Amino acid sequence: MESAKGFKKFFNEKMVTLLVLLVIVVAAFTVLSKNGSYLHPANIRNIFSLMVVTSLLTLAVGCLMISGNIDLSTGANGTLCGILFALLLQGGVAWPVALIATLLIGMAIGAFNATLVNIVGFQPFIATMAVASVAKGLTYVANNAVAVPVKDPVITWIGTERFFNNLLPVTLIIAIVAFVFYTVLMGATEFGRSVYLIGGNREAARLSGIHPVKISYILFINSGMLSALAGILLAARLKSGTVTGVVNMQFSGMTAAMLGGVSFGGGSGGFGGVFIGMLIINGFNNGLTVLGVSSYWQTVASGVLLLFALTVDYLNMKRRGKRVSKRG
Amino acid sequence: MERCLEFKGIEKAFPGVRALQDINFRVKGGRVLALLGENGAGKSTLLKIMSGDLRADAGTITLNGREMNFSSPNDAIRAGISVIYQERQLVPAMSVAENIFPGIPPRGALGLVAGKQLKRQAQELIDKFGLSIDPAAPVGTLSVAYQQMVEIMKAYRRDSDVIAFDEPTAPLTDAEIAILFDLIRRLKEAGKIILYVSHRLSEIFQVTDEIVVLKDGRLVAEMKTSETGEQELIRAMVGRDIGDTYAGLNRNDKIGEVLLEVSHLETDVLRDVSFTLRRGEIVGFAGLVGAGRTEVARAIFGADPVSSGEIKIEGKPVRFKTPKDAIDAGVALCPEDRKEQGLVLFRSVRDNVTMPILAKVKRGLFLDNHAEDEITIDAVKRYAIKTPTVDKIVMELSGGNQQKVILGRWTSSKMTTKILILDEPTKGIDVGTKAEVYQMVCDFAGQGIGVIFISSELTEVVNISDTIVVMHGGRVTGQMTRQEATEEKVLALAMLD
Repeated sequence: MESAKGFKKFFNEKMVTLLVLLVIVVAAFTVLSKNGSYLHPANIRNIFSLMVVTSLLTLAVGCLMISGNIDLSTGANGTLCGILFALLLQGGVAWPVALIATLLIGMAIGAFNATLVNIVGFQPFIATMAVASVAKGLTYVANNAVAVPVKDPVITWIGTERFFNNLLPVTLIIAIVAFVFYTVLMGATEFGRSVYLIGGNREAARLSGIHPVKISYILFINSGMLSALAGILLAARLKSGTVTGVVNMQFSGMTAAMLGGVSFGGGSGGFGGVFIGMLIINGFNNGLTVLGVSSYWQTVASGVLLLFALTVDYLNMKRRGKRVSKRG
Repeated sequence: MERCLEFKGIEKAFPGVRALQDINFRVKGGRVLALLGENGAGKSTLLKIMSGDLRADAGTITLNGREMNFSSPNDAIRAGISVIYQERQLVPAMSVAENIFPGIPPRGALGLVAGKQLKRQAQELIDKFGLSIDPAAPVGTLSVAYQQMVEIMKAYRRDSDVIAFDEPTAPLTDAEIAILFDLIRRLKEAGKIILYVSHRLSEIFQVTDEIVVLKDGRLVAEMKTSETGEQELIRAMVGRDIGDTYAGLNRNDKIGEVLLEVSHLETDVLRDVSFTLRRGEIVGFAGLVGAGRTEVARAIFGADPVSSGEIKIEGKPVRFKTPKDAIDAGVALCPEDRKEQGLVLFRSVRDNVTMPILAKVKRGLFLDNHAEDEITIDAVKRYAIKTPTVDKIVMELSGGNQQKVILGRWTSSKMTTKILILDEPTKGIDVGTKAEVYQMVCDFAGQGIGVIFISSELTEVVNISDTIVVMHGGRVTGQMTRQEATEEKVLALAMLD
């Protein structure tokens, strides 16, 4: 009885819509690709191998969006951390030390964002965009805009090893573990509930004994950490820290979160839907590559998809807003 | 042609409430019609429909025989309907003249706004109304009363046929009210249709010609002002004698030792505020809007910073930095604005009830949903909250039930509330639920909780409280027991300058 209720809750109307959308995307690309090469194991492997990056960026920005905030520096932060990580390894630092140091750098950038937003009182949009610009500049400065090779065997193993007939990359396991962890954290713990309550009404949450500033700090630092990890794993996968890094995947992360039902207004959306949203995005981006669409047009397509997600979110908010803002 | 405004069969429903049902009446030019009713009777909703802010579900409004169909407030303004709300709709940094002529200022050579001409035209209007306002002064520097005058001139200048006032005298002093009434008489002589919304009966008799009484969204009485009296109006508004509501209360008579002692409390709004609250006592805070009552509540609760003074709970000095500290010490606040500060509207009844006790409903690392459900179901039963399940989104409940959700939050078995601060707990809820809330407040006192009861409704505050503290301009201007208090005394202190 209880599990049936849980099942129903999980597969609500929105989930069904998302699954249908996923099936449509997969079917369309399968039909359009030559000999159905889209569904070929080699291509599925391709989709899976990069999914960890979008997953982490989606989780980073998703948690913040639920709390009614936003971080536009995830891509730049991750890219900077990726190249710094590669530089540290190149300089002879042991990989565990380099890993922890880089994660700390990402977290420090997150803490800086949190300070700008919570203490100084800047708009999160502008503040994190400025920080993104700083991080982007530093990325170029770090090694004169030249990529840094990553040769550490442990790191490249994490980035490239695949289990089960080459189908299950180590990085995908990391992505799935991360998704399960954040789904439980946000859905079943005091912390997660507090994030939703703050996103729903920050002042009411504060007057009920929740600390919005504390939680906002945790979420921005978390966002910085996940961005850094995304950058590190991309460097591990490409065996190189590059200056473009994960920048372009930031919008995929936001699009996935919004497709999955996380609203810009805050306070709503669950990671079950977001996971499917992320599958859709990854399937979509890869599909365009398989069809041979130029990367310039792919950028256009990603923008259109984000606009689509924004529109859906806007219409939802407007429907809700109409019922709330007019007071009788 | 004589002006005429007519409402026909107006209906409006919100989730959980039928705000207006079958409203029919008409007003002619040169007449002042009072729209009277308790909070939540539907007056504001009707004004909002008339001003294009809300759309009626059914029915029509006709002005001078033409059917009005507004999709925005701008449409209504263009059609000749101006509503003057309590919240000013002026730009504080711009001058009086610029506010009176917004958007379409007279233009001089080169298409630039001709400052002098603008000022002269504004001055003409100001003279016409016999006021002493400098047209070049920024509106933000004027008193509330003069800001209201500016708004009236703005409506007059637009040549509106209909001018509606929503509780215009709430923030005004007696002298200012006299000026306002003089203005209204001038508008009346000019043949305008005037709607006047107010709770204050004495004003109704001074300034209006006709009265329409709303109760729970229905039109319950329509009469000529000259042919009725206060008692009749009160009966129509309340549906019964007010006295009964309070006489029937089961009060607490066991008032114990001092629970809260506030001395010389100062914030950026408050000046030298002192009072005490005892176990089982209800201390009422009366005063006009902006008197500083909410600020007292927020300062005690740790929501706003305190600059000096002392707060003692059970004899121990405290200084809460955050609401969390206050809650841990047994202080609870039901804020004035339920929707903005009290509730997370899109979350369930359960989520709203368990907000402050999340740390106490855990099993291991996770929230215990069963415990949350039990606590919420208990609250739903205790307060007879009308909701089908605890999973219902709070937004879909009526105002009274939303208020009960907040009360349930602070009185659940996991809370140890000693001091309960209720800021305007009956605002916007219907008369029947009000009586329930009064009994709840008495019951809280009966359980030994000290209750701070802030209300702008004089009758309520005077009849519920054991002790009444009156505030004006951030200061305490008087304190008395229920036996000593009368509405007149409290009002005099509340308006003291």
